[in-house]
Amino acid sequence: MSEATLLETRRLNKRFGGVVAADNVDMTVVKGELRCLIGPNGAGKSTLFSMLGGIQRADSGEIFAFGKRVTKRQAFHRVQRGLGLTFQSNRAFHELTVEENLAIPRKPAQAASRQPAQERYSFALESFGLDPSDKTRAGELTHDQLQWLEIAMVLAGYPELIMLDEPTAGMAVEETRRTAEVLKRLQDSGLTILVVEHDMAFVREVAEVVTVLHQGRVFAEGSVDEITASEAVKSIYLGKA
Amino acid sequence: MIARALRLVGGDADIGRTPLFWVGFAIALGFFLLYPTQVSSFRASNVAYYLLNVPMGLGMALLWGYCGVLSFGHVAYFGIAGYLYGIIAGNMAGSSWGPLAGVGGGLVVCGLVAAVFGYFVFYARVQKWIIPILTLVFTLLLETFLGQTAGYQWRVGSVLLGGYNGMTGIPWFQLGDFVFEGYSFYYLCLGVVLFSYLGLRMLVNSKFGKVVVAMREDELRTEMLGYDTRFRQCAVFVISAMLAGLSGLLYVQWGNYITPSQVGLLQAALPVVWTAVGGRTSLLAVVIATIALNWLTYTLSSQGNQYAMVIIGGLLVITMMFFPRGIVVMLAEIIGRRPWRRSSRKGAA
Amino acid sequence: MSDSLPLATSLIYQIGATTAFLFLAAVGLVIILGMMNIINLAHGELMMMGAYSATIAFHQGLPFWFAVIVSFFVVAIFGAIMELTIIRRFYGRELGALVVTWGVSLMLGQGTFLIFGPFMPAIKIPGGSFSYGDFSFSVYWIVLMGVSALLILALWLVYNRTTYGLQAKATMQNAEMARSLGVPTKRIYTLTFALGAGLAGLSGALLAPTATIAPFMGQQFVAPAFITVVVGGGANVISGAVGSGVLLAVIKTPIGMALGAFSGTVALLVAALIIIRIMPDGISARLQRLFDRRMQKRQTS
Repeated sequence: MSEATLLETRRLNKRFGGVVAADNVDMTVVKGELRCLIGPNGAGKSTLFSMLGGIQRADSGEIFAFGKRVTKRQAFHRVQRGLGLTFQSNRAFHELTVEENLAIPRKPAQAASRQPAQERYSFALESFGLDPSDKTRAGELTHDQLQWLEIAMVLAGYPELIMLDEPTAGMAVEETRRTAEVLKRLQDSGLTILVVEHDMAFVREVAEVVTVLHQGRVFAEGSVDEITASEAVKSIYLGKA
Repeated sequence: MIARALRLVGGDADIGRTPLFWVGFAIALGFFLLYPTQVSSFRASNVAYYLLNVPMGLGMALLWGYCGVLSFGHVAYFGIAGYLYGIIAGNMAGSSWGPLAGVGGGLVVCGLVAAVFGYFVFYARVQKWIIPILTLVFTLLLETFLGQTAGYQWRVGSVLLGGYNGMTGIPWFQLGDFVFEGYSFYYLCLGVVLFSYLGLRMLVNSKFGKVVVAMREDELRTEMLGYDTRFRQCAVFVISAMLAGLSGLLYVQWGNYITPSQVGLLQAALPVVWTAVGGRTSLLAVVIATIALNWLTYTLSSQGNQYAMVIIGGLLVITMMFFPRGIVVMLAEIIGRRPWRRSSRKGAA
Repeated sequence: MSDSLPLATSLIYQIGATTAFLFLAAVGLVIILGMMNIINLAHGELMMMGAYSATIAFHQGLPFWFAVIVSFFVVAIFGAIMELTIIRRFYGRELGALVVTWGVSLMLGQGTFLIFGPFMPAIKIPGGSFSYGDFSFSVYWIVLMGVSALLILALWLVYNRTTYGLQAKATMQNAEMARSLGVPTKRIYTLTFALGAGLAGLSGALLAPTATIAPFMGQQFVAPAFITVVVGGGANVISGAVGSGVLLAVIKTPIGMALGAFSGTVALLVAALIIIRIMPDGISARLQRLFDRRMQKRQTS
């Protein structure tokens, strides 16, 4: 495993009763890339996502994060090492204020030395129009603002790698584009990003590399152009395979 | 340092942040300070009893209201501290250090027992309803155990545990040669109440307190922001158990005795009632409710009224059904006529 | 050899009796928890109410088994009233339900004390006993083991063969969906709570001859009943309760026989803490997983 690998899975398996959610998944996320994880409904995206985050345990296989084997470690360990994650349904603290939401994330011990991460956080606040001393209850924000707030909360922990589960779900075209723009700028500043996404237009806009999951297996992997051109990928989306 | 402490006390995690509130607070404090000068030592001792229960109520508010974890067995820690104080101070009778050693020993053992219990439940990440059940079972077993310790074979050093008749002749609290009894014990209780209230207010307004509230709102989200939620819940559990222990220590110093029924089912209900009726998301409301309800229970039972427990149970049912955020909190809102706290809007227990 | 056979028989009898006791103490609680996600802390007082109903009916001259059935209906009706007036407001608020039912339990215990005084005349244990080797066996406890088995069978039939059972399971899985399909979910909740309460009453009546009938007798069932439920878990409640009943009986019985009843109960709590540390979802989830795995093997082979 090279220095540049931030996240890696080896032969990861997970079953729910008779349903196979992950079938020998091998996936690697390299430092600095913006990778999209796509696949039809029930392909196992969310399960893989939560196993990577440490929320669910794999039945077998290994997960490495930041060069350490983390398969059996608690979720907060990987967060403390530099992982950030948003959930599919928005989970900002709706009953707390925006200020409190942004104050809660744990900063790493050597926060001062992570200047790029600090700059990324400030940049996200500015681009999303969030004020870290805003006393509004988060529950009163619009849907889009809540999505952005959760991304900003994750960046407030100064992560090296962020995982976003459908960050633009429910957003209008203009807001989706704005989110895509911010993510690309974050990537340019050195942040590694893994996005689970349904919206192919969004994928085409932001992604460099794409992993396609199908029935719990890695079905295809490649650049956006390769994937969108692939007949096999089209056919699974149309339900032929 | 002092400025920082003041800022924490004045933070927005409890009711009462206006200058007017602090004027009222000072008046109330003044009342309690002057009260013993106007009444007999018997009356002062009764009020001391209402006051000494406040730390346990505050512990419940921290655990249930701020952390979202419910314990039905906090009286177990009340009892553990009380009995240990009796054993240690009783065996060191004659030494002026005995009572202080008893206080230290009682609190340390309370903390350790709570830590072991907390390790099992929080590190197992059990569902939230299991904790109240197991804490309740724990205190019931403690009652059963203490109940069967009658007889001479159940003694520690020179102190008899006493079975259902309880442990008697527990020494007063003492610092050097100064013994706290009568009026001075009243002021000891008042001081403990004041410090535990202000201390907890600082705690809930600190970063730690914010994370505790975040855990209540969404435990997984909080963990995914980098916190070991198991450890923090366990820590809050230990703090609140030690507050219950503090009440237990004051209780045995007040009455010089303790019986197993102090850790029984009826007593176990009381801190939950105080916290629910006051309003669990406000420390001050719980302080007020604890004093008021202790006064009510004492007045009812001293008149030989057997309906006390029915009334307390009914009050709990009515509060949970119609005022889920607490009666004192609701009254405070009517007085303040504005929503002073956003996060307490969550009514669901 | 001839000495160890009575000992082994006695041990099995003791384990059987403890299992029956744990199952009976927990069954009403388990139905309400599993089907409605409500933890009923007034459970012990409902059992007390069953014991009182049976005792009063018995001393009025009703045959014992008839008195037991009467107490089922008395407590079931009380349960229905409790659901309609109080519990209804607490769906989806687990901790709130716990606290409010505790308030109810305080009122019931003290209220009974005020109405009936501190004691009730006991019911003599029916059936007598016999001995084998050095050990004595109570006929009544053997009957209770049989009754427990019958209850398990009856509950299985109710939940798998009746319209109510089908609708209740649908409501448990997804109340909203069930409602849109025309299932009267409110009535299902009332019936389920009444059934759970009635079973608590029935158990209280069945255990009445073995206990002291007093206003606060419910307390003695709280610890065993709740430990059984905690260890059983919430996935498949009836099999969970049976599984945890057996497991806890196997742990408790030898310790209780060797060191006394109190140590046996302490062993229950310690066992519960260790078991939830190992399997936080309870035995029922573990059983479910074993079952799933076997199904998988059958599918793949």
